[in-house]
Amino acid sequence: MFSMFRDADQLETVEKQLAEMLRSCQDAFRLGTAAAFGEQDVTEAGEQLDALDKDLNKTERAIRRELLVHGTVRGADIDQGLMLTYMSLAKDIERIGDYCKNVWNLAQMGVDLSGGSDEKELSKHRARVAELIKAALDAFSEQDAEKVHELIPMIKKDTQHYDSHVVQFVNSDLPGREAAPRALFYRYIKRISSHLTNILSSVVMPVDRLDFYKKSRAIEPEPD
Amino acid sequence: MGDNGAQPDTPARSPFLTWTETVARVGLALFFLYVFLVGVKSLEKGISSFGGDLVDQVFLSVANPIAGLAAGVLATVLVQSSSVTTSTIVGLVGSGVLPVETAVPMVMGANIGTTVTNTLASLGHLRQGAYFRRAFAAATVHDYFNLLAVAVLLPLEVFFGLISKIANGLASGVGDLLPQGGSGSSPIKSAITAPVSWMADTIESLGWTTAEGWILLAIGIGLIFAGLWLITRQMKKVMSGRIENAINSLLGKGAGVSALAVGLVMTVAVQSSSITTSMLIPLVAAGVLTLRNAFPVTLGANIGTTVTALLASVAADSEDALVIALAHVTFNILGILIFYPWPRLRAIPLGLAERTADAAVRRKSIVAGYVIGLFIIAPLAILLIT
Repeated sequence: MFSMFRDADQLETVEKQLAEMLRSCQDAFRLGTAAAFGEQDVTEAGEQLDALDKDLNKTERAIRRELLVHGTVRGADIDQGLMLTYMSLAKDIERIGDYCKNVWNLAQMGVDLSGGSDEKELSKHRARVAELIKAALDAFSEQDAEKVHELIPMIKKDTQHYDSHVVQFVNSDLPGREAAPRALFYRYIKRISSHLTNILSSVVMPVDRLDFYKKSRAIEPEPD
Repeated sequence: MGDNGAQPDTPARSPFLTWTETVARVGLALFFLYVFLVGVKSLEKGISSFGGDLVDQVFLSVANPIAGLAAGVLATVLVQSSSVTTSTIVGLVGSGVLPVETAVPMVMGANIGTTVTNTLASLGHLRQGAYFRRAFAAATVHDYFNLLAVAVLLPLEVFFGLISKIANGLASGVGDLLPQGGSGSSPIKSAITAPVSWMADTIESLGWTTAEGWILLAIGIGLIFAGLWLITRQMKKVMSGRIENAINSLLGKGAGVSALAVGLVMTVAVQSSSITTSMLIPLVAAGVLTLRNAFPVTLGANIGTTVTALLASVAADSEDALVIALAHVTFNILGILIFYPWPRLRAIPLGLAERTADAAVRRKSIVAGYVIGLFIIAPLAILLIT
């Protein structure tokens, strides 16, 4: 009973929960792609992914509640900008989890992205996205503005590249069973990358410009 | 994560209280508690120095239990704090102006009057129908519980002296263990009495002897107000993190004894049941806390708020002050024992609150009628008639 009344900085708790959600996304992406590339049993990966997805959704709901409670208890003392930012971030991270599940859904539908002529390229993008999730987690956790300014333009370039692949497969003469899953895969990793950009933008952009990164409008970090 | 994501001119978020800041704020709260007790003592001394006519008038105006109840409601609505009303009642009882039996209905009235604050807080959600329905139900469930408790317990008090007898028994049982201890002296009592005696001497030396009672009364009420307000301010800052944590745990666990404990501890800590119950309104309105889970928190707040009267009785000379403070505790505990443990009885205030909220959403005039009727017109009419 008394543990209920222990002192805690709730915003710090929310920050930890957001980082934990991003860590779960790393695992979710690994599981989703492992199934889609035929490296892991689809059912087994699906069960683990399902558990991660449930955790992500549960944490998102908990964050919303905690922010509401924080606002209610602290009244005028709250940092409203930070609360709105965290609310938005929880949604972005939860969406990444959903797209990882969508990648797994490809495997569930019988798609195997390995073994094709484009396997090398697909694997390259898979590794790239996994690496970017990790980089985003680090930059977000450390609030590393410099790293963010470096990562966002790179990710934006990647998303344009993924988009061109989607267009290419939609218009290709390949049979549907080959073109459609590839178009979907590129679409999913493009959406994951875009959500990573949104998350990173929270480190450097003012609240009204969240998701709308522009270096010239960024908040410059305070000098040490 | 600093201030990122916020506008550059947005103030940085409140830092986690340091240990030294916490100690300083608790120290300040204790000092303001002392100021509050000096206020109660000053009020008591001020009233004691009035002539018999005024004392008789006060007594006669609330001698009828229904009038006493209405006076308690109206006084609390006017000052927006049951703590101020009950502390004043403790002062009146302590000075011998009011007998305990006459004061008990007034304390019950204070319980009803204090719910006006969260009812007003629920009006902030008037714009959105579904939000307002939940908010208004969360506010009025407290009203209905208090009204039902009064409907059952006031007749038992009037005809059998139930609450007064229990409170007297408790006072004789625990009185010696508490610093109140009746008319005896204690270091706490001496420390509270000293500044009041100094004020009385100063007033006399200035030659304002005829106005002494009124001056001490005004100072007393001012110090009670200021003391409670400042205690609440300090303790809210100290307790915010803990309160957030407790509410978050509550949202995960649901209703029951822990919810009651949350309401009790929060209210004792911030010395205001209105703060506790008003915090619930946006949570219920947003749908993250159900009416059924919020209900025991309001009941805990009802018990928690009685601590103020107990503290006020420390300053009083007469043991009756402790008796009326314990009567406040007894009334609230009996009310909970009647209306909380049995699901069928628990459903009565919940059902009434939900029906009132449904009606209020359909016709907004019901909201105005309810608030003005229950908290102003009805007690005023009773006072005028009796």
